[in-house]
Amino acid sequence: MNFASVLGKVIEISHSNLEIEARIKAILNIVSADLHFDEALIYSLDKDKRLSCRFNNRSSLLFDLLSDYRCHVGEGVVGTVAQKRAPLFYTLKDIPARLGCLFYAHLDEVLPRYKVFAFVPLADDSFLYGVLFAASSSREAISPGEKVVLSILSRELGGIFRTYDLLLSSKKRITELATLSELGRILTSTMGPSAILENIALITAKALSASFATIKLDLAFIKLNGQRFTSGSIANNLEARVLDLEARVLDLEAEASRLRQPVGFAEALTAEAGEPGETFTILAAPITAKDRTLGTITLGRKLDQPDVQDDQQDRYLLGMIANYISSGLDNALLNIKLRDALRELGDAQRRLIENEKLRSLGEMTANIAHEIKNPLVVIGGFTKRLAKTVHLDPSENRYVEIITKEVTRLESILTEILNYVKEAPLLFERCDVNALLEEIVYLLSSDKGWSAVQIVKRYAPDLPPALCDVQQIKQVFINMLMNSFEAMRGKGTITITTERTDISEKPFIAISVRDTGGGIEPAYLDNIFNPFFTTKERGIGLGLAISNKIVVHHGGYIEVKNTPGEGALFVMHLPCQEKPEDGPGGAPPQTVGWTRGERPVRLKDAQ
Amino acid sequence: MEKTRILLVDDEEHIRLLFKEELEEEGYVIGIASNGFEALEALRSDRFDLVVLDIKMPGMDGIQTLNEIKKLNKDQRVILCSAYGEYQQDFSSWVSDAYVVKSADMRELKQTIKNVLGV
Repeated sequence: MNFASVLGKVIEISHSNLEIEARIKAILNIVSADLHFDEALIYSLDKDKRLSCRFNNRSSLLFDLLSDYRCHVGEGVVGTVAQKRAPLFYTLKDIPARLGCLFYAHLDEVLPRYKVFAFVPLADDSFLYGVLFAASSSREAISPGEKVVLSILSRELGGIFRTYDLLLSSKKRITELATLSELGRILTSTMGPSAILENIALITAKALSASFATIKLDLAFIKLNGQRFTSGSIANNLEARVLDLEARVLDLEAEASRLRQPVGFAEALTAEAGEPGETFTILAAPITAKDRTLGTITLGRKLDQPDVQDDQQDRYLLGMIANYISSGLDNALLNIKLRDALRELGDAQRRLIENEKLRSLGEMTANIAHEIKNPLVVIGGFTKRLAKTVHLDPSENRYVEIITKEVTRLESILTEILNYVKEAPLLFERCDVNALLEEIVYLLSSDKGWSAVQIVKRYAPDLPPALCDVQQIKQVFINMLMNSFEAMRGKGTITITTERTDISEKPFIAISVRDTGGGIEPAYLDNIFNPFFTTKERGIGLGLAISNKIVVHHGGYIEVKNTPGEGALFVMHLPCQEKPEDGPGGAPPQTVGWTRGERPVRLKDAQ
Repeated sequence: MEKTRILLVDDEEHIRLLFKEELEEEGYVIGIASNGFEALEALRSDRFDLVVLDIKMPGMDGIQTLNEIKKLNKDQRVILCSAYGEYQQDFSSWVSDAYVVKSADMRELKQTIKNVLGV
């Protein structure tokens, strides 16, 4: 026999591009045919690190017998060879009874067929991959040359196993990496959260060869709370199991902080269910952020799935995916918080700028108004003096009258402007809004200009008192009613309604004034509260601006409901006091100061 | 009977002129000061039944002047007379006897003067 040609064939096969298993089998067949071994079998290490008979030559008779059993490294002849990494050769006379871990039943019956036995370790410099077992019935002994060939051959086989292992693990790694990179791509994409979660479920199911993968979020404060994102379909009879498992994952998470890692406790979470003959493994992992559980990811897989990887690996990958989702969700949550914070900051800044603008505008306006007032008084005053001291003809008198009138108008405009820009402190009092309205309505309607105006009053009987600056609120009410009056050109119906309402769970009073004045041009609606915006010929556009400012200062707001062609409805929302004893510091402060022209309070009177 | 003496304090010359003429017409004797310091000086050397005091003035404003006047003579009657009503909310303006908003229409000022003098 030509050893060189045998080795040549073996090397050719081992470096061919045949499937790994085919290469091993081909080599075993060569051993069998060329070296005249009836049996050429390979024990390799399985996932439990036990030796099991996995490969055989074509004509092997022992394979079926031996492949039923496994043995530990160090156990029996095969185990010893594997442990010592040294070959052992026997003849029938000295072969020990234990080839592997057990006394094989029936082995004694078949063993006498063979005369020589060889056990050669398949190992390279660092790893043991298995043991080659060969037996021959046609030979009396194994020559030293054959032993060398067998040992070279076994190294070659060891090389093939190493490639096999490498390939297998890199295949796993590649799947893992591909999965994770795909996840990364999705998590950083611009897809919406729902699309992202659906895609993750899809990828997870694909990567783990699962029939279904489902993600459920358990976050009360996000929109997606309670929603489920599933790839594949969950069989009806599995649903309960999935729900149960999800609840258990969340429970576990709640009770033990050490379980922050998404994997490692999957033992407890594997449940089997399904139709008879269709057994499923269900695996769930929590999706946890730094400080809380965000939800669960669960997958289900048929047990007889062909390319099922080992369970540990699956848990590891599922954990990784859960981690990815966590950090993705965490980022998304942070982003949401950041966006909210940013928007708030922006709003605050805008308000600040707006306030600052208004304030400086206010100061400027106040200064200008001051500067103008004195000359105006002088102009008006001397015009009157002129009229008194000089004799004027009727038309000249009319001119004087006009100047005086216009000066008076200018003065009142200046006063209004100043009222708008100045920060009038609020002097809070408890105020019976119905009574105040009644007083104002009485005052206004006693004017004969109001004779064509019908006023409908719908006051709520048990209205709680408003806490407000009565003088200022009075000004607002008068303004509202005057606006309605003017919008109706002095003819129509004004409906005044008061009612107790709640805004953001705080007690409010709503005072509505509805008129039949045809409503506001929709184009004007956005501007009606802006200072100096007016549709009136002689107004200066401060009435609503001042009213709005006053109401806003009180912590309320004015709402406009407009029906073009019919009328406008203004609703003032004022905070009110549910219980009278809630007043700040007991008795409300009294209005101070005095109106001009009144008999003043003298210091000594006050003392 | 001796005529009522009023001290007019205002930094604006034309206002002083207008008020002086209007009030003299009413029969009052008018003294003039164009700021708080002059007003105090006038009050130290002379007797006035009433001071009509502007508020917004350079140097010492009307409120400070009012306090100084009351220190000098707590019974001195003073009417604050400003272009606007906002100082009414200023606590320190309350020691004055009245508060009038300046207007081309002088009737209010004249009436207030009468009220304060108790005529």
